[in-house]
Amino acid sequence: MSLQSRHGQDYCLSVLIWTGATLVTIPFIWVMGDLLWNGWDHLSFSFVFSAPQNAGREGGIGPILISTLLIVGICMGTAVPMGLGTALFLSEYTRHDHVLGRLIRGSLDVLAGVPSIVFGLFGNALFCQILGLGFSILSGGLTLACMVLPIVIRTVEESFHAISHEQRVSAAALGLSKTTTIRTILLPAAFPGLLVGIILGLGRAVAETAALIFTSGYVARTPESLMDSGRSLAVHIYDLAMNVAGGNPHAYATALVLVGLVFIINFASSWIAARWTSCNRLSA
Amino acid sequence: MPFPVFFIFTLRIILVSHILWALPWEYPNARAEGERLIITGSSTMAPLVSEIGKRFETLHPGIRVDVQTGGSSRGIADIVNGLADIGMASRALKSQEQHLSGSVIAHDGITIILHTSNPVQELADDQIRSIYTGSITNWSHVGGPDAAITVVNKAEGRSTLELFLDYFHLSNRDVHAHVVIGDNEQGIKTVAGNPNAIGYVSIGTAQYDATHGIGIRLLSLQHIPATIETVREGRFPLSRPLTLVTKSPPAGLIKTFIVFAQSPQVHDLILKQYFVPLQE
Repeated sequence: MSLQSRHGQDYCLSVLIWTGATLVTIPFIWVMGDLLWNGWDHLSFSFVFSAPQNAGREGGIGPILISTLLIVGICMGTAVPMGLGTALFLSEYTRHDHVLGRLIRGSLDVLAGVPSIVFGLFGNALFCQILGLGFSILSGGLTLACMVLPIVIRTVEESFHAISHEQRVSAAALGLSKTTTIRTILLPAAFPGLLVGIILGLGRAVAETAALIFTSGYVARTPESLMDSGRSLAVHIYDLAMNVAGGNPHAYATALVLVGLVFIINFASSWIAARWTSCNRLSA
Repeated sequence: MPFPVFFIFTLRIILVSHILWALPWEYPNARAEGERLIITGSSTMAPLVSEIGKRFETLHPGIRVDVQTGGSSRGIADIVNGLADIGMASRALKSQEQHLSGSVIAHDGITIILHTSNPVQELADDQIRSIYTGSITNWSHVGGPDAAITVVNKAEGRSTLELFLDYFHLSNRDVHAHVVIGDNEQGIKTVAGNPNAIGYVSIGTAQYDATHGIGIRLLSLQHIPATIETVREGRFPLSRPLTLVTKSPPAGLIKTFIVFAQSPQVHDLILKQYFVPLQE
């Protein structure tokens, strides 16, 4: 093959890859541009903190923001400990081909593919009706926890698997107990992976509409307790855009707040992960 | 575990449990019976009833009105199962639902609008369907001038669109629209600014604008004039009653709320959501 045609091939490949990468960024820029263009003018300090008026066309989103944070807090507070426990069980307490482990992994993969509206109806039946929690922030948070558990477990499990087997063997050779090995070696090493699991889970939880409209509900009042119904940001956006004539401007502004919230969470997590890694390197 | 680490660990657990303890937890039974009114159903009605509920709460301190959506059928199912005190249905009760008790609080009506300079006085249902599906494209086919028709349609997800499509037995894919609009005011402005346009909007808004000098005319349907009065009487074909449904004839707090929702005290709220209130 001549040098020239090889150059030509390289050139074609570069063009293809650059086109692909550019095309991927277009939807993101489009969405962000659309949100900023339509929503920025309506965004203000009072919008973020005041209560909605006239079905959300006027006023702000204060109570909705509080409800969202509570719902997501309950979701992650439940899903992270349970997910961490299950991931530890799958990677450290069972062999990879164990029947129980395979059963759990299989059911998690099925759960991860279940549409969120199904989780909504399941949450409504179990938490709202059978357990008697009613339309409440608690019901919504627990329903979301069921939904994000598969993501959290599989991500964390992967990060445990990524730790080399020698570390476990060395720990055993030094006479460390299983608890000490997990606490001082495995957990710190898997921490960045745990954060990734949390970010993925949070992203899915904070953007959820279908699973929440029948569990945490539609009430746009500031919740007084976790047993109160509370509207989440995503439900509010859906209602304003689809159900309230003239609700579009505030739907855009709310979407902007939601995207901002996701950005803050992502940046905070990657900052913590970076700090954690650098601290560990120093102490090692 | 070395002692200081164990000590700090225990301290953290104590601290976290104290924080959890200090949160304002409340259990469902802690609330006195009857303080909370749960209303579920029609997503069309939910914003209106939420606003009515808010005003009701300010007049009756200590009472909470929780409004949930999910659709008219869900509202009916929830009151039958006892999950809600009041159901919302944006339609009249069906024949198999007559054992329930329905109270109309407002009406939702849609009118076809044309520009005032358009000589067409009335269109049959078939003609409107043909115009919206694109088989009639010129006003001369329906007794108007020789000009192309501009079809103005509503954006996806509007209850006005649903009611319109339902009445004319259309699916949104059949509609050949030239302009797609969002809210009522936008539709009125589009038609008022284009002598060859046809559109449809909520009657409340259209009548207000038409009597305040905006250049639109409301078309009769099946020879029934499109006015707030004919909608209120339930005679206008393209309309639906917004109904609050209860399992048994309303009593106590439920009755107080329904009477309040039917009273002139909430007419401004009903008008703000582009619905037609009961009386003047």
